[in-house]
Amino acid sequence: MKKKITALLMAGALCVGMLCGCGGESGQGESPKESGQGTNPGENAGGAVDLSNIYSGELEHNVTIRVLENDTAIEQGYFQELIDAFNEKYAEYGIVAVDANMDQYSNLADDGPYGYGPDVLYQANDVLMKYVEGKHIYPIPAESLECFPQITENAWNAYQANVNGVSYYMGVPVNVQSSMLYYRKDLLPEDWETTWDKDGNKVPDMVENWNDMYRYSQEIVAKNDGHYGYMRSLYDVYFSSGFLFSYGGYVFGDNNTNADDLGFSAGNAEIGANVLLQQAALMNEGCIDDSITVSAYSRLADGTYFATMTTPDVYTLFLKELKLAYQAEGMSEEEAAALAEENLVITEVPKLPASGDLAEEDPELIPLKAMGGVNGYAISAYTKSPNACLAFVEFATGYEMMLRRNQMLGIVPARSDVADAVGGVSEIMYHNLDAGNIVVMPSIRAVEQIWTPGQTFFEDLAKDAFRPETEKKYKTLEDIKNGLAAVDTQIYDAVHTLAGTN
Amino acid sequence: MSTRMKPNKKVKASMCLMGLGQLMYGQVGKGLLYLGVLALGIAYFVFRGGADLVGLFTLGTREMDTWLGIEGDNSVVMLLMGILAVIALLLLAAVHISNVRDARETQRIVERGGRPAAFKEDAKQLLDKKFYKTVLFLPVLGVCVFNILPIIFMIAIAFTNYGGSIVPPKLVDWVGVDNFVQITTLSQFAPTFGRILSWNLIWAVCSTALNYFAGLGLALLLNKDCVKGKVFWRSFPILAYAVPGFITMLGFKFMFSYGGPINQLITAAGHRAVGFLDIDAKWIARFIGLGVNAWVSVPSIMLLATGILSNRDMSLMEAARIDGATPWQQFRRITLPFVLFSTTPVLLGQFIGNFNNFGVFYFLRGGLYIDGYFLASDTDLLINWLYNLSISNNYYNIGAAISLVIFLITSLISLIIYTRSASYKEEDTFR
Repeated sequence: MKKKITALLMAGALCVGMLCGCGGESGQGESPKESGQGTNPGENAGGAVDLSNIYSGELEHNVTIRVLENDTAIEQGYFQELIDAFNEKYAEYGIVAVDANMDQYSNLADDGPYGYGPDVLYQANDVLMKYVEGKHIYPIPAESLECFPQITENAWNAYQANVNGVSYYMGVPVNVQSSMLYYRKDLLPEDWETTWDKDGNKVPDMVENWNDMYRYSQEIVAKNDGHYGYMRSLYDVYFSSGFLFSYGGYVFGDNNTNADDLGFSAGNAEIGANVLLQQAALMNEGCIDDSITVSAYSRLADGTYFATMTTPDVYTLFLKELKLAYQAEGMSEEEAAALAEENLVITEVPKLPASGDLAEEDPELIPLKAMGGVNGYAISAYTKSPNACLAFVEFATGYEMMLRRNQMLGIVPARSDVADAVGGVSEIMYHNLDAGNIVVMPSIRAVEQIWTPGQTFFEDLAKDAFRPETEKKYKTLEDIKNGLAAVDTQIYDAVHTLAGTN
Repeated sequence: MSTRMKPNKKVKASMCLMGLGQLMYGQVGKGLLYLGVLALGIAYFVFRGGADLVGLFTLGTREMDTWLGIEGDNSVVMLLMGILAVIALLLLAAVHISNVRDARETQRIVERGGRPAAFKEDAKQLLDKKFYKTVLFLPVLGVCVFNILPIIFMIAIAFTNYGGSIVPPKLVDWVGVDNFVQITTLSQFAPTFGRILSWNLIWAVCSTALNYFAGLGLALLLNKDCVKGKVFWRSFPILAYAVPGFITMLGFKFMFSYGGPINQLITAAGHRAVGFLDIDAKWIARFIGLGVNAWVSVPSIMLLATGILSNRDMSLMEAARIDGATPWQQFRRITLPFVLFSTTPVLLGQFIGNFNNFGVFYFLRGGLYIDGYFLASDTDLLINWLYNLSISNNYYNIGAAISLVIFLITSLISLIIYTRSASYKEEDTFR
């Protein structure tokens, strides 16, 4: 009998073990199409989808919309503030916005058709726009939104998609992300105002153009005391590709929409890559992998690095490290915080020499076209409440909430009125985007394939600065051009080789 | 020798209608039960299963368009439900066969002068002679749904065009062996496949041997009487084992990076930093991979070997010592065959695990495409290449096809090794 009980228990355990793999949130499994609420759109004579059939204009009553926000917004309390304010405003309709709380279900293409996805998504443009192909997100009547005229065309372009010959806006831009230069003001030469400010604009030359940054880095490295000037892990495609774009390179042709046309080697992109090679020569081997990226916070704080380049959203991390470094020197917390804020400067990236020669005296300067992204809101095509979702998106992209987002999260707003109101980095970056100096990440699915080939090339390029003369791979601009052409080939292969089966 | 019994009309009735024979024998409970199962099966196929079976062949005919409110077919769900319908059909057939067997058994009993078993007696049998059926019913059902179904689903995917831009709501189609033809005829594939397969085999053999003998060596060392504080020393490998593998690998990646502690020591000593895992570090990176994998895997082998060694017949060792055998001879002639015999299946498992070891080089040196390799690096194993080619591209069909090829290679190797091992040939030796 004992044996039988044991056998039954074991069989039961086996069944339970197998059933453990099928935990589901049954409450969320209902197909959004079953209710038929506001989801009976048709096409007009031109083949365009009539958006009024999706958004009837009548708010759904007593519905819950699940919003997928980014972790920082949730952790810093912004998201709670946003949904509290929204829920209060729409309480009379019974509309409640909640945290989708579904990290694991954040791939709308996989989970949306089965009813598991969120109703509203906040993600980067390249992530959101990949959902267009399967019509997993709804087009948005952008022109009717209050924020439409306040957001620059370049930001809207990131969310523009052409479906069956008709152009639609698929998301609403919220914030802009791109590269900024971070440096320590107290590590400038004491006499910089007389020796490093040729144009007398009270801004050090080394943070205005890469040639002076190169010269200053040379001076620091020449002291041979373990300190460096500008430092950055060069393998990172996001930060390094801007140097190629500045000289005619691009990712995809036809304004980043044609995956058949790869452009990492286009124009004079090799000159931009050569700029990186020159910079690498004044760094240490940490620029080959992610060592500099990982240590930049502490190294900038302890003065080992003078400057680095990264995105503005990590400003608080640099500030925290610098404050801790000052405290370690014996300052009080208040003194350290004040001094850190004074000495840590975040500014736009320096200009490049048109010739690509960092040693050139008085070069003609061109702007660095840095890679960037535009995060925004999109509405799931599987939602039961498109009107309530649109109301949420409109609310979240209004002036008040965008300003609050900037204050709480330090993000760069995509709205010009908010950017102008807060000034500083936000204003600089907004205007850089407006001027076309931020190359927004392509919004087509093939963009997933650019990272590994690009990373391999930049790592190889950085490594070349440390190879013995006889083993160097990139001795001439032609060598670099060939390397970039290989990147184009690899991306093309990754995108197209297996596409033949489909 | 028993002669084959001719089925009577009651058995034939059961063949035609499940449970009818039993009812004719007066076994009402059992007959109704069989009839109930048949009714359930028919209801399932009428209301759902039939359409699922048809869907398995068509994989959908109407494409979904969320913007126009068209609720189309979901090919992947149709494939899955179609396979489930086939499994249901097979299970129904199995129940039907059992119904016929039961009727024949009753016929045999009756022809020998017995009486048909009552429902209660049959139910009692399920807790006695046929207890295995009671115990295995739910697990077998579970195995069908949770093990067999996904495996068949994966195999079926290899014969479709599911992946790339063809993902739901777009409709998927059957493409026969096109995926296999493509992976074998693509000119870029062959040289890379050859290079990666040869490295993969070297890696699997070396890492398995290293882990096995290092684990066995540690177990023997910590088994020696002269070692003091065995529990204390044993805890170190167990600690390493307890840390999640990917954390360990990311830790090692940091240790060997340019800014990591090892290079800091090297540069502090006045030397140039070494690119242990960078783009030029082919063999260094491979050796580091072997070492890191050993760090993660050796503790489990050590624990296994420790358990097996405790069952050693020490009188054999004593006799060997008296006969003048050296410690090496004792190890080679007694200990190793004994441990090897018990652990051959584990060794095979280790070999397969190492052959398909995705994590080591993905975490240590992922994100590189090396010259001479098609979308792969010189440390990538087949499984890493498969990931680059298929998963990161969403080509599930190609991924499934390459998985089948890897499965064939590994199962062939395992089968050959296992059937030639003492563990299989001399199963009773150490019993």
